[in-house]
Amino acid sequence: MQKKFMLNYVIIGLLLVWAAWQLTPTLRYELMSEERKEELRMTGELQALEEKIIRRGLDLQGGMHLVLEVDVAQLTQNIAQNKSQSYYQFMSQVQEAYKADPDRDYFDILEEMANAQNFRLARHFPGRGDNNSQIVSSLKQEAKDAVIRAQEIIRNRVDQFGVSEPTIQRQGDRRIIVELAGITDPERATNLIQSTAQLEFVLLKDPEVVQDAIARIDAVMKKVDPETLKDTTRIEETVSKDKEVSIEELFGLADEEAKDSVALVDENIFEERPFSALLRNLGNDIGVPVENYYAVNRILQNPEVQRTLPADLRILWSNKTETFTTQDGSKVAFYRLYFVNREPVLTGNVITDAKATLGGMSGTNMGQPIVNLSMNSEGAKTWARVTGANIGKRIAIVLDNKVQIAPVIRDRIAGGKTVIEGLTSIEEAKDIEICLKAGALPAPVEIIEKRTIGPSLGADSIRKGTTSVLMGLLIVIIFIIINYKGAGVIAFVTLVLNIAFVLSALALLRATLTLPGIAGLVLTVGMAVDANVIIFERIREELRKGKTVKAAVDNGFSRAFITILDANLTTLIAALVLWQFGTGPIRGFAVVLFWGIVFNFVSGYFISKTILTSITHNKTLKKLSI
Amino acid sequence: MLQIFVDTHYDIVGKRVYASWISGILILLGLLSLMFQGLNFGIDFSGGTLIQMKFNEPITAGEIRSLLKNPKLGTPQIQRSGPDEYMIRVLTVGTGDEIQKIIEEDLQEKSFEVRRVEIIGPIIGLELRQKAINAILVALFFILIYISIRFEFKFALSAVIALFHDVLITLGFFSIFQWEISMPVLAAFLTIVGYSLNDTIVIFDRIRENKLSHKNKTFPDIINLSINESLSRTIITSFTTLLVVLALVLFGGEVLFGFSIAMVIGVIVGTYSSNFIASPILIMLEQRKRNKIKTKK
Repeated sequence: MQKKFMLNYVIIGLLLVWAAWQLTPTLRYELMSEERKEELRMTGELQALEEKIIRRGLDLQGGMHLVLEVDVAQLTQNIAQNKSQSYYQFMSQVQEAYKADPDRDYFDILEEMANAQNFRLARHFPGRGDNNSQIVSSLKQEAKDAVIRAQEIIRNRVDQFGVSEPTIQRQGDRRIIVELAGITDPERATNLIQSTAQLEFVLLKDPEVVQDAIARIDAVMKKVDPETLKDTTRIEETVSKDKEVSIEELFGLADEEAKDSVALVDENIFEERPFSALLRNLGNDIGVPVENYYAVNRILQNPEVQRTLPADLRILWSNKTETFTTQDGSKVAFYRLYFVNREPVLTGNVITDAKATLGGMSGTNMGQPIVNLSMNSEGAKTWARVTGANIGKRIAIVLDNKVQIAPVIRDRIAGGKTVIEGLTSIEEAKDIEICLKAGALPAPVEIIEKRTIGPSLGADSIRKGTTSVLMGLLIVIIFIIINYKGAGVIAFVTLVLNIAFVLSALALLRATLTLPGIAGLVLTVGMAVDANVIIFERIREELRKGKTVKAAVDNGFSRAFITILDANLTTLIAALVLWQFGTGPIRGFAVVLFWGIVFNFVSGYFISKTILTSITHNKTLKKLSI
Repeated sequence: MLQIFVDTHYDIVGKRVYASWISGILILLGLLSLMFQGLNFGIDFSGGTLIQMKFNEPITAGEIRSLLKNPKLGTPQIQRSGPDEYMIRVLTVGTGDEIQKIIEEDLQEKSFEVRRVEIIGPIIGLELRQKAINAILVALFFILIYISIRFEFKFALSAVIALFHDVLITLGFFSIFQWEISMPVLAAFLTIVGYSLNDTIVIFDRIRENKLSHKNKTFPDIINLSINESLSRTIITSFTTLLVVLALVLFGGEVLFGFSIAMVIGVIVGTYSSNFIASPILIMLEQRKRNKIKTKK
């Protein structure tokens, strides 16, 4: 072999060694039996191996992708102090304006409206500056910190949940992306992540206040022609300003079942008190049949209803339903509805420890899942004072705005030991423990995007993707070898190498291979073929002009180079822009396409040139198999 | 073997009147459909909920539709994605898993496995659409600059006009057949942009080369010669690429269908436009420049 090709072959050799080195772990992993994997998992070797293999996207291995947005409005609400009637009114206006135009920044709207209405924010956000703009910029900073804190807390929770290689990253100012591979219970994971773990102890309102509130809601709802509530056609706009609602939607039921739900309305009082008609008496509590849940919620969210209620009143649902047998023997499931103080007496930040367990041998919670709480000294002091001062009253233990339990305070509780009861399973108790220990989220997070892919679908996609790549490759190779004969074999080698190099790059960079990524691989095959076709056609052209084999090959490559360069670079630009501006699936595609083009220069041009020119270097060669 | 397009002398440039008729009609049909039918945006861009379920018993889309009667679902789109497997799309986004639960409740008498759930909030959908449009515009801008540097501005302009032509026709097909525009389809559109460019550049590269070596020929003749010289490569490459994307259509499954079909149309339209649209536009631009010089004299 001539010296001038030595260097080229050394480079190619090194590239091959590199690719083999990068791809061995993946191959080993793929070919390994499940039993062997379990064995290695024990020794920790599997984890080390998993660090080196090509990562599969969620669409290929199954899992969950979540985009969460931190509720900055609620965050602001949590920070605010001296909350007066005028404060709540102002804030609800800001909230409405924000809902109408969600593209704008919440704090910009807040500042604009505060200035327009001469509303002094300083009263409610002391210590954050003198004028509105100072306060708003301080709040903005607070929100940014809150998102970072939320990210940390979610990471803690996910770590305790036990998922391999979770991805938790921030996106922009308000968003957090969570990716969990191979989880089996997406619902539980979502609840765990989304739970703000905001634990509150809130005193219940006295019965007179509750009666008064219900009477006020009835008065508002009566203004709506009550018949329209029962009528199956439409409800007037007062019920819902955003859109008209049919009774089915109000009750969350379809036509046939609507009849049953109407039966749950107390016909005797419907005319006079349409809201009360949806409620039932459950001892000391107010019960709402499950069928009426949507209707009641809708009424409570009605802006006009909200305006008529006292500012320090909050209405909360129980965390689950209970089934009772009515007088006529039928079983009805109820939620409980609680009327509580807006300001909690204690919140979860005084909790120092939480432990999920099954209740003891005796007592009301015998054998039931419970969570034991311990408080810090400050919390314990307040707790003792509040319980001491309100003996005989009821206090609600509220988690994430759902009432877990609302016991009557029988005695002063000193020492800060408290129990959360009323849980349905030990898993639920465990999740509460995780959330309380990892800390409360600074503000609620809302899921704005969620993609869950089952593991069987992922396996399907891998099979289909691999088949497509292999079939595409096979068809192309058959075609190209028929067409270009000997040279076609070289093209075949470079094609396979191109794919191997792209996969190696993915393994090295720990990039993720997704389904669109496989599509990108297919396209890479197309691009690589094109490079070969351009070169071979040029060489044929030169041969037809009567050039010697050596001259034709040399000329062919040098002329084809410019064409390949320009053609590939323009596509490279498209790939880079996609990489930069695309999200999720598009990015997966762009990454593969990018590396495909880069290695197209390496294998499609450099390697095939080295092979072809070293073969034809011998000037005596008269005929080229092309 | 297959050296059939060697040394051809087709008068491609002379056929440009027919070509503009064909393109004009295709674009017009597409635009009419875009105006009256619009595009079928998937939940990626419109927001909504998608649930893919595999049933353990034979079932038809009609049966599923008749079972899904909760008014919160609106009119669900039901699409078959495999044997006894369906994708149910709903335009509403409930709180949390609300929509999924409603669908599962409505279908509770059937036995099934949920294979995929996607919930996209309406704001996200809007953002993704905006981002996608931005990405295409940014890509076109950089491509314009690159070609202007490597060739001339009029080459860049012709290439980009040809690109608009390709994307417009492909979009037209998606509107006429109401195929869903999803994230992967968007990626396909961008690939079409890349592919069609690739094709155009290969011919432009020939034109650039022939302009130097055939100084005595007229510009239209040079273009015709260049197209003919590249024809063999154009046809072989397009044919192989078509084979590859057809493999995707056949073996890629429902998830990749939109992507694959967009690629098939894109490859065909892209090849056609490189030969019949981009180059004639170049002649037009060249002639306008000459006319200007003449009138100045």
